[in-house]
Amino acid sequence: MTTDVANVSSIKLAWALCWAAFWTGFPLKLMVAVLLLAMQVPPWEGAGMTALLIVSIPVDLWALGLTARTYFLERHGLELEGGIGLTLWWQGALIGIAFLAAAYFAGSTAVSIGKQIAASIIGGIKKIFPGFSIAEQITLELLLWSIPVAVVLGVLALVALKIYGWRIKATVKSAGHPTAAPLAERVRRWDYARVPRDPGLLLASFAGVIVLLTIVFWLFLPVTTPHPSEDYKVQVKKPVKPLKPEDMLKQTEMSLAKADAVLHSLEQEKGKEKKKATKPEQKGK
Amino acid sequence: MNALAQKVYDFVDERIGLKTLEAKMMNEPIKGGSRWAYVFGSVLLFIFIMQAVTGVLLMFYYIPSADHAYASTQYILNEVDYGWFILSYHFWGSSAMVVVVFAHMSQVFLWGAYKKPREMVWLVGLALFGLVMAFGFTGYLLPWDQRAYWATTVGVEIMDKTPIVGDFLARFLKGGPTPGQMTLSRFFVIHVMVLPAALMGLAGLHLFFFRSAGPAGPFRGTTEELKAKTDFFFPRQVWKDIIAMATVFLAISALALVEPVELLQEATPDPGDYHPEPEWYFLFLFQLLRWRIFSGEFGQSLAAIVLPALFMLLLAALPFIDRNPERNIFKRPIALVSWAVVMIGIVVLTISAILNREYLD
Amino acid sequence: MQPQIKSKVRCTDGVAGEVAHVIADPIALDLSHLVVRVNGTERQVPMTAVSKTREDSVDLLCTSAQLAEFPVFAREDFLSSKEVEIPHLEEKIRVEPGQVFVPIPDLEKSVPRRRFFAGFTNLLAVLIGLPLIWPVLRFITKPMYAPFDNRWWKVGNISKIKQDNVGVQFIFKKSIKDSVLTREDDKSNWVVKATPEILKNIYTHGDLSFFDKNGNVIWVNKATVPYVAYSGKCPHLGCGYKWRSHKTRGQVFLCPCHLSIYDVTGKVLDGPAPRALDLLPIKVSASGEIEVIDIEYKAGTRQQDRIA
Repeated sequence: MTTDVANVSSIKLAWALCWAAFWTGFPLKLMVAVLLLAMQVPPWEGAGMTALLIVSIPVDLWALGLTARTYFLERHGLELEGGIGLTLWWQGALIGIAFLAAAYFAGSTAVSIGKQIAASIIGGIKKIFPGFSIAEQITLELLLWSIPVAVVLGVLALVALKIYGWRIKATVKSAGHPTAAPLAERVRRWDYARVPRDPGLLLASFAGVIVLLTIVFWLFLPVTTPHPSEDYKVQVKKPVKPLKPEDMLKQTEMSLAKADAVLHSLEQEKGKEKKKATKPEQKGK
Repeated sequence: MNALAQKVYDFVDERIGLKTLEAKMMNEPIKGGSRWAYVFGSVLLFIFIMQAVTGVLLMFYYIPSADHAYASTQYILNEVDYGWFILSYHFWGSSAMVVVVFAHMSQVFLWGAYKKPREMVWLVGLALFGLVMAFGFTGYLLPWDQRAYWATTVGVEIMDKTPIVGDFLARFLKGGPTPGQMTLSRFFVIHVMVLPAALMGLAGLHLFFFRSAGPAGPFRGTTEELKAKTDFFFPRQVWKDIIAMATVFLAISALALVEPVELLQEATPDPGDYHPEPEWYFLFLFQLLRWRIFSGEFGQSLAAIVLPALFMLLLAALPFIDRNPERNIFKRPIALVSWAVVMIGIVVLTISAILNREYLD
Repeated sequence: MQPQIKSKVRCTDGVAGEVAHVIADPIALDLSHLVVRVNGTERQVPMTAVSKTREDSVDLLCTSAQLAEFPVFAREDFLSSKEVEIPHLEEKIRVEPGQVFVPIPDLEKSVPRRRFFAGFTNLLAVLIGLPLIWPVLRFITKPMYAPFDNRWWKVGNISKIKQDNVGVQFIFKKSIKDSVLTREDDKSNWVVKATPEILKNIYTHGDLSFFDKNGNVIWVNKATVPYVAYSGKCPHLGCGYKWRSHKTRGQVFLCPCHLSIYDVTGKVLDGPAPRALDLLPIKVSASGEIEVIDIEYKAGTRQQDRIA
């Protein structure tokens, strides 16, 4: 039960591939992003963004190739030859860049126009109903401009997907040849395609890479918070000056001598007082 | 090493029938095969375990008294090694839990997997949803900073508006007429003892009902397709579950690294310049309460208590109202449209609440 | 009518065998095949070949010869209902539990595939928590190895000591910062004003040096200074000991918990104490104020092991 590729909607085809390929590559890109964050490098700007984009290239190539092969084998009974990942990737990248540029411009224009129109509509409503409260106003205004903007961006996305869908169909036409295997066999094939030739090696190397990346993570993860609170004063230990034993001993001797002297004089005083106390008694007697 | 492991396994198997037990748990056939769409339940379990682990770690240093809660939380953030990371992970994990709970509920709803014979799974699931919200609400108070104290105060005041039981409920939660030490103690014990015990019990029940009814499987596909793709719970579905768990773990860590927890000033009886606000997943309700049409005592109780309660009752009644055995979402237009309206509505109201901040001064 | 296990199986030309097992379709939840035992061989017969089912017998549409052409029952391709949980299966199919077989899904038949995904899953399960191990260890051990407190404490004045070679108790208030709490505890030390004879027996190895964690000297007790301070904690298990008159030994330090007895030099005379009383860094100011560093050593060890 295979459907001819030509009969499938281009948009649905492109969407199916893009959605699956994105989530296939996502965990790997997320690993890189977390490592960058542990190093205090934001992955959404500058060097971090560049690093993430560079890593995304092989990941996306692999993900697209895998997704495409699975999808076309199972749904359309087509086996794809050659570097299908690469072809689909650069086509998708070009369309994606064009879409992002168009979306940025069209989107920002739509947002500013939409906000202006929405504000004037709200203004109009307030003239009729001066008691129109702020909370409802915010929601209404939001809906008024966000819906048209969503429509604009949605249309652009559909156009991009359609173009990509055409390109995918063209690529598959040249690269794919049909297989007569029944569904059960095809399903078994793509399922089994996930199993590497040497599972032990793959698992061991995967484990090794994860352990290595974890150690790198530990090395970079800041021990104390990178956003310290202004209100909280951390106990700063004053550096203790190392003492010289000879000075210490001399000081001790001096203090001790002084202390002894003080004690001695105290005792003498006590003794004198005692004598004074007993003398009058004697005299008294 | 393997031989020793095998010996231990055989020893236990001889006594409790481990092999059969394992087979029964693992060899659950999934019609139509394992699917990424089915991972959300297991991911929720994983997030809960992570919250429990990080929560226990936080309890090593947290002091649940009104005069030391703030200081001890700051101690964790600023002095304990990696304390900031553990606390931030716990904080973002709770947001992740709410997001995944919505994803899981949506998936079950869209797949029609609440219908007969899975009504009880759905009902227990709704109770679990309530528990997750309660977790978020009670945990939020514990740092005892301005944000925590005032979000809770406002939240409990709203609960006071519940008809008949409102005053009792509010006094019970506050531990008195006004918030203070008793509030903190009660929220602490509910958050770390009562709710986890309830969640574990209900989750077990949820899983038991689920396994008794069997997974619903995909809502479309010929018998031949279903049969060709059928595989067992273990290893394929478990493998997908675990990859999803690892991805969620990384995502929460990323959030913890991007936006570590920072406390506001210590709670004071006067909010001063601070504008009280609940956690982001309650913002949509919070915004609804600002609407003029819900003003006044009756209006507030309507928006805050009655409408949400009616909605939850509707969800609970869903398997009994919707008797149509059709599970294909594209053939259930009312279901699809109502789901989209609710989700979009929540998003729009949440964004409105954020936009509303600028108008508060 | 559903075929029962042990029912006789009748072909068109006579009794052939009996029903050994039944095979169910896990999706449709009804019987798909019967396993018929004929002359010791078990054969898989589809339900479409059954013409009539009675209480204790099943009639087939085929002859015995045709029966022998049905495939042999491959036990390894199936799981019994004891090994796999198919919800409500045994309500629909009325036999003893364990007698119903369901086919193993095609995808699961590949052992390498199963082993790979099982291995991958187990591996990820172990690795998932790995990034947390180091931060968690540091997190929970943070206060366990807190740095030493080398503050000097004023405990009292030498004028309180009236006699030589007797233990005089000095109690002072020590303020401790305990994470975010500040506590004030009463600590006790025993100070002795020793005569040179006794002093020689206390400082058997000459001047006593005290070190910090890095090995730097923080203080030296000169062996000629007559004032010595002992930590108030008994080195046996940390109880507070006293200066008492003993029946036979005269005036001694006596610990009431386990009856360790020390003389005025701190030497163990009797009892379970593993070492002598611990000396503290002591200095006497010009006005006679005694100051000590309140070092705490681990109780119960022969060698001194500083913990605070």
